[in-house]
Amino acid sequence: MIYSIYHSTRFYYQHEVGFSHNLIRLQPRNTLTQEVINFDLTIEPIAAEIEGYDDFFGNHLHHLLVREPHMMLHVVAQSRVKIDFDALEKLKETRQRLVDLTYAQALERMMFLTSDIIEAKQFQLKSPLLPIATADIVNYALVSIRPERSLHEGIMEFMERIFHDFSFVSGFSDLSTPVETVFAEKKGVCQDFAHFALTALRGCGLCARYMSGYIETIPAEGAEKLFGTDASHAWFSVFFPGFGWFDFDPTNNMIPANQHIVLGYGRDYGDISPMQGVVVGSGVSHLNVMVNVERETNR
Amino acid sequence: MVSLFERYRLSSSYDEMYDQDKNIRPHWEALKNNLEKIGLEQLLTKQKEIDWRLEDNGVTYNVYNDPGGLNRPWKLDPIPLLIEEEQWKVVEEGLKQRCKLLNLLLQDIYGEQKAIHDGIIPMEVIYAHGGFMREVHGMKSPLVIYAADMARGPDGKIWIVNDRTQAPSGLGYAIENRLTMNGAMQDLFEDISVKRLYDFFETFKSIFQGENQGRNHDPLNVLLSPGPLNETYFEHSYLSSFLGLTLVQGQDLLAKNGHVWLKSLKGLRRVDTILRRVDESYCDPLELRQDSQLGVSGLVQAIRSGGVGMINPLGSGVLENLGLNPFMPHLARYFLDEELILPQIATWWCGQAKEQAFVLENLDRLIIKTIDRMGEKHTYVGKKLTKKELKVLRQAIIEQPHRYVGQEEVEFTSCPTLVNESIEPRKVVIRAYTIAQEDNYTLMPGALVRVGMSNDSLMVSNQFGGSSKDLWVLGESRNVPLNVMFKPKSEMDHSLENIPSLRAENLFWLGRYLTRSILTARMIRTTLKYMTNASRYDQAANRQTKEMLSKALTHVTMTYPGFLDENFSLSVFEELASVSLNGSRVGSLAQILMMLSNTNTYAKNILPLEASRIFEKMSREWSHFCNEKKPSPRLMIHNLDQLLMQLMAYKELIQESLFADQGLALYEIGSRIERSQLLISKARALLTPVHDTLSEYEILETLLITCESLNAYRARYRSSYEMRNVIEFLLLDINFPKSLISEIDGLLKIFPQLPKFKNATYLSRYEEPIFEAFSMIRLSKIDLLSSLPGDKYIRDELDSLLSELSKRLLLASGELSKTYFAHYDE
Repeated sequence: MIYSIYHSTRFYYQHEVGFSHNLIRLQPRNTLTQEVINFDLTIEPIAAEIEGYDDFFGNHLHHLLVREPHMMLHVVAQSRVKIDFDALEKLKETRQRLVDLTYAQALERMMFLTSDIIEAKQFQLKSPLLPIATADIVNYALVSIRPERSLHEGIMEFMERIFHDFSFVSGFSDLSTPVETVFAEKKGVCQDFAHFALTALRGCGLCARYMSGYIETIPAEGAEKLFGTDASHAWFSVFFPGFGWFDFDPTNNMIPANQHIVLGYGRDYGDISPMQGVVVGSGVSHLNVMVNVERETNR
Repeated sequence: MVSLFERYRLSSSYDEMYDQDKNIRPHWEALKNNLEKIGLEQLLTKQKEIDWRLEDNGVTYNVYNDPGGLNRPWKLDPIPLLIEEEQWKVVEEGLKQRCKLLNLLLQDIYGEQKAIHDGIIPMEVIYAHGGFMREVHGMKSPLVIYAADMARGPDGKIWIVNDRTQAPSGLGYAIENRLTMNGAMQDLFEDISVKRLYDFFETFKSIFQGENQGRNHDPLNVLLSPGPLNETYFEHSYLSSFLGLTLVQGQDLLAKNGHVWLKSLKGLRRVDTILRRVDESYCDPLELRQDSQLGVSGLVQAIRSGGVGMINPLGSGVLENLGLNPFMPHLARYFLDEELILPQIATWWCGQAKEQAFVLENLDRLIIKTIDRMGEKHTYVGKKLTKKELKVLRQAIIEQPHRYVGQEEVEFTSCPTLVNESIEPRKVVIRAYTIAQEDNYTLMPGALVRVGMSNDSLMVSNQFGGSSKDLWVLGESRNVPLNVMFKPKSEMDHSLENIPSLRAENLFWLGRYLTRSILTARMIRTTLKYMTNASRYDQAANRQTKEMLSKALTHVTMTYPGFLDENFSLSVFEELASVSLNGSRVGSLAQILMMLSNTNTYAKNILPLEASRIFEKMSREWSHFCNEKKPSPRLMIHNLDQLLMQLMAYKELIQESLFADQGLALYEIGSRIERSQLLISKARALLTPVHDTLSEYEILETLLITCESLNAYRARYRSSYEMRNVIEFLLLDINFPKSLISEIDGLLKIFPQLPKFKNATYLSRYEEPIFEAFSMIRLSKIDLLSSLPGDKYIRDELDSLLSELSKRLLLASGELSKTYFAHYDE
């Protein structure tokens, strides 16, 4: 199955900008279950320099320098991503095997410092945008994640509770909204739910990372899908020692499979924010994002 | 004769000069004799001479928010700290080893991380440290300058207290200390051979030569400083001239094409190596701290693509890491197969269960520190904490144990120090410097010694607030005549075309703000004086004049709505006081003075000392006056007079001492553009409208006064004030140096001094509008300008000419900035 993704961002500036450096994280990475077939970046005005490289986490970045005077910067990223059903199937099988691993066992296994555990442990430490979990937040998670219970089962329930307890309200929160506020008000958007989950899981001693990407939306029966009505999406992934990383989507209460496309991951949103820029002489007055995720082929 | 040390009381367990039975240690014998020979009285005189020399060389240390002013004089004690050659050899071997070890570790951290994967160091020691920069992973640049803080422990051995790898400071102060001792304390060196620093200086200077090999253009190396407000700015400017580097700030540089470029008046010049004194996380607002104003966006990318070198490399701050201490012996065996030579203070890293338990049990007697110095507070002295504070700390350690270490409280040694006219013991910490080049490590045979403020201060502050000493390593060294040593020059490589754009821009604004503050102060004073004088002629005319003058003031200062406000509720004096004293009002005199003060700070190192002193005095008096609740008009006039006198003196000093290569042209362009613009606003406010005869007379007289042109006018016209003559005189008369056309003509004459890098046959983009302005005004006819078509209240011709001229000046100013200051389209 191949997805074609169109992601357009327009930055409108208050004043004319003649020189701006930007970092762009819009090229999806390859994962066990997806392969990026092609990727294309279009910039308007034409960028003087574009250079691609990989960050510490292996995400693809582009460094961009625009030197033509402009009032608006338009970045369009287009990618074609192939979903590997065989790999998805394999992953599903692994999931079935890891259900026996209890939370207590997982914590114990993490004491053995094998290379993959050392790698994973950076996602257990405090990250720049997220606080240390308060006792209330940890206790919320511990209701589901219990020492003698299957860790996977516990996290599934934890995800389900977020889905039911929290309401999806856009406009309530932004990047600076503390996780504690999201928890107290029990509302936010996908990014807030992911951040809340990461905070809680790390508070439980688990390694968890922030996943950034897209999700395919399917229009209601009979309705036609309008172009550009999709959005960026975020969920979380947990490390199961001995098995690897497994994803959970609390916004939709589902295990990501063939409808989720991964852009990249990091400790929190800050590591994988799609665009950041430094312009000389102006602030951004507003921006306009349009995303379209479309199935090219079904198989 | 009574010995200087008669009343010297030992108070710490180890004194550098005396053993516990108060027998002098043999290596201090000669120095003691010299000190006795000099005697206390002479020593006090010498201290004064040291103070004077340091002040004269401008050696200062900035303390933020210090009521004593920004620049605190650097303190140097006349009594050095002595170290025997044998012991120094151990230190030398130990520091070379440590520097090499840290360098290998640095390469590993940003490379394969073998030390972590092989279990030599826990991953948290690196990953939970604020100095670990994922952005520079894989870059593998070596550490070049390594500083270690050391102290002698109670056992007489020298211990490592801290490692400084990020952007170590103090080297410039250490050099200056030695030069000052050489100059002021010659008598003290008698019969003592002290290791010379010369060879080390040569090594230090050579670090950039290696960096520049294989480049096919003139090397350009810069010292990147946060700017004059930084605490060690003196050192930045000192080291930059010592090493032949261009001193720059983030705004001086820009990154493109995989390189970093210096914006200079001549254009962009490629930078080879950056000696970094900006904290690493502030170096690039794009990839690192986004709130940084001190960095260069795109810098990390330029380093990544190999276009520019940096000393010390980004990411080296991770080595300033107390969490590493317990693992250093293992690391030495792992990387070097050696035992650690120099001992460290016993350190327990709380990331391990046993150690954490120990620290929590002994919280009230240990020193607790975070592994990095990123947080607001990073040192806690257990025994000084309240119960509540201990509880909070305990909780913080439990939450993030890997962020904390516990350390044994160590009593440092004391050393005789001249304090309050007697010699007393004071605690000392030594900061020593090692330079790494490839696999060669060179230790400076000397150091910066920091001295505790009082004898019971157990910890010498990390800041340099207290006093300092020179460190004398005893022993012979290669014979080098003293006078070939470095003599600091105030400025080195700066011909006009190479001066950094930021400084050029700053001088331009210095010219503008200084001119604006003088003219604004003069205009307010003149207006005030007119207002306070009893009416001389006729009441109605008087009222009209007052109204015209006050509205003109609003126009010139652009403090709208001000006197133009129909519903004006303040009294005239209240509004005048506000335009003068309200620092938060845009356009007010107080606000212009604040802008001037900023430019003054940045220009300070090229202005004469007297200029700074006058400016400081003026700022003090002015801010004192600004706090007056309701100043009387008389008091205001008095203070404005004072202010004007000081501003004029400051201006004279600048014009007299700045020379062409330092960018005098930029200053002059700034002040001419400003004078022209303000003259245009005054003329538009006072010369274009029609007045009745009586008030016209007074308005013209006042206008001439604010232009300081009254006497010249009288000499020229020998008549009373007539509108036609005043217009001619102030705007069109090319023989009168203060006229508008003379100012504009002056601009055309200065422009050719600026380096042109476009096509010199044609006018540049900033010359064009000024050339047009000159022609427009030169071609105007006075009859047309002063004429009044019958029923009108405004001289249209004059007004539109002035408006066109103003537009062109604005355009020229903008084009000038683009060409010389911004360089974005180059």
